[in-house]
Amino acid sequence: MTDPVHAKPDDRTLVRIRGLTTVLNGKTVFDKLDMDIPRGKVTAIMGPSGTGKTTLLKHITGQMRGKVGEVKVDGLNVPELARDQLFELRERIGYLFQNSALLTDFDVFENVAFPLRQHTKLPEVLIRNIVLTKLQAVGLRGAASLMPSELSGGMARRVALARAIVFDPMLILYDEPFVGLDPIALNQVLKLIRTLNETLCITSVLVAHELDAIKQVADHIYLIANGKVVAQGDPKTIADDGSPWTRQFFGGDADGPVPFQYPADDYAEALGFKQGAA
Amino acid sequence: MSAQVGRENVVLQSLAQIGACGLFLLRILASIPRSMRHAGETVRQLWFVGAMSLIIIMTCGLFVGLVLGLQLYYVLAIFGGTSASGSVVALAIYRELGPVVTGLLFAGRAGTSITAEIGLMRATDQIAAMEMMAVDPIAYVAAPRFLAGLIAMPLLCCVFCAMGIFGGHLVGVSWLGVDNGTFWSNMTANVDMWKDVINSVIWKSAAFGAVISLIAVFQGYTTAPTSEGVAYATTRTVVASSIAILALDFVLTAFLM
Repeated sequence: MTDPVHAKPDDRTLVRIRGLTTVLNGKTVFDKLDMDIPRGKVTAIMGPSGTGKTTLLKHITGQMRGKVGEVKVDGLNVPELARDQLFELRERIGYLFQNSALLTDFDVFENVAFPLRQHTKLPEVLIRNIVLTKLQAVGLRGAASLMPSELSGGMARRVALARAIVFDPMLILYDEPFVGLDPIALNQVLKLIRTLNETLCITSVLVAHELDAIKQVADHIYLIANGKVVAQGDPKTIADDGSPWTRQFFGGDADGPVPFQYPADDYAEALGFKQGAA
Repeated sequence: MSAQVGRENVVLQSLAQIGACGLFLLRILASIPRSMRHAGETVRQLWFVGAMSLIIIMTCGLFVGLVLGLQLYYVLAIFGGTSASGSVVALAIYRELGPVVTGLLFAGRAGTSITAEIGLMRATDQIAAMEMMAVDPIAYVAAPRFLAGLIAMPLLCCVFCAMGIFGGHLVGVSWLGVDNGTFWSNMTANVDMWKDVINSVIWKSAAFGAVISLIAVFQGYTTAPTSEGVAYATTRTVVASSIAILALDFVLTAFLM
């Protein structure tokens, strides 16, 4: 077995997933899933609810370890990493949680400073400058002294974004970053994602449903359903590839390969109407 | 048949929980050197579970001492032995009531809040966020709370005992007229420093503190990330801690006496 720490990274692909198979509670979430996330690009992962998009991010970060398949990040096979190696890798990854996950005991400033305080011995002046720079980038420098309970959902997400980029990571994973943002904040976050990518050569992976927003920011889109990648391509052409998956997903149709209704017994029978009754 | 299977499941689940709790303790102990980096967090938790519990511990200690002094006075009066009330109050408080009642109060006051806090951190992804920031939540969240409980319990138990004896003195000497000198001299003559104070108050309460903190942290850390899950975990902390305190009390008394 190759040493996961000294594995040679692929120059063009930062995250390489091969044959990932995940079964949760008897349900197959991923069925031999293959995916490549290119370095320095913004990749969006889309798909119907419950299709395993967040689970995929958990595999990339090692929060969840698949028994079958390979998830390589910067050449390191995540499922094989020891805890210390995994933590070393995570120091180079930023993660934006769906619900922000701010530490409720700390104010905004301390939330953003938390990773710096835990992993560096930087002088207080430098920590302050870095934190204020990141907060300025997300437009919340003035909210540095507020507690998480005093923030709106959108503001909390922007603080979480500032915390995620505080180490200038090589990879940022955004789990539903646009939910709850007003149009101004949404536009700013889109610009920020793009700017971070271009200026710091950060690789971004977005899990989102907002196609209009994704079109503005993503270089590549993966559409996953039924445990597999069913379509992929650039934002301009993916919706026109003609497959029933993309037609249904981007058209918002109830009928198609993704059932809108959860499997259930006959509706008429459930309502008490016997078949054939007048 | 199904009832028997149900009972077996409950027994197996309980054993599995105890086993998981034991493994969790090993993880906490292994993370204590790393948690020394977060000494400030341990001090903060010590303030929260220790200093913030002082009012309830002092109040309850006083009332336990008052009622014990009153009950013992009337029982001892039957035999003409009211002069022994000081030593009996002290022995009852040092040997049993002090550590056990402090433990039960500590489980209700501090244990539940530890479970609820960690449970909510779990439910709101704060624990996952720490892991994603490469911060070990066992070292940052669990170990400081465990250590705080371990340190706070003996101190709180000493305060409880002091207030209990003060209550016994208040009733016996100030109210019912037991001689002050006899009260104290009988107490100092009959209370053994090693057996009654060090073994019963300090060691016993430290053991209770460790068990309560472990149960509280374990329940919070492993709770289902829902409001219902946090509620159940909090209840389980009180129930399991109370049973553990009383069972451990018997075992420790048998060994320490």
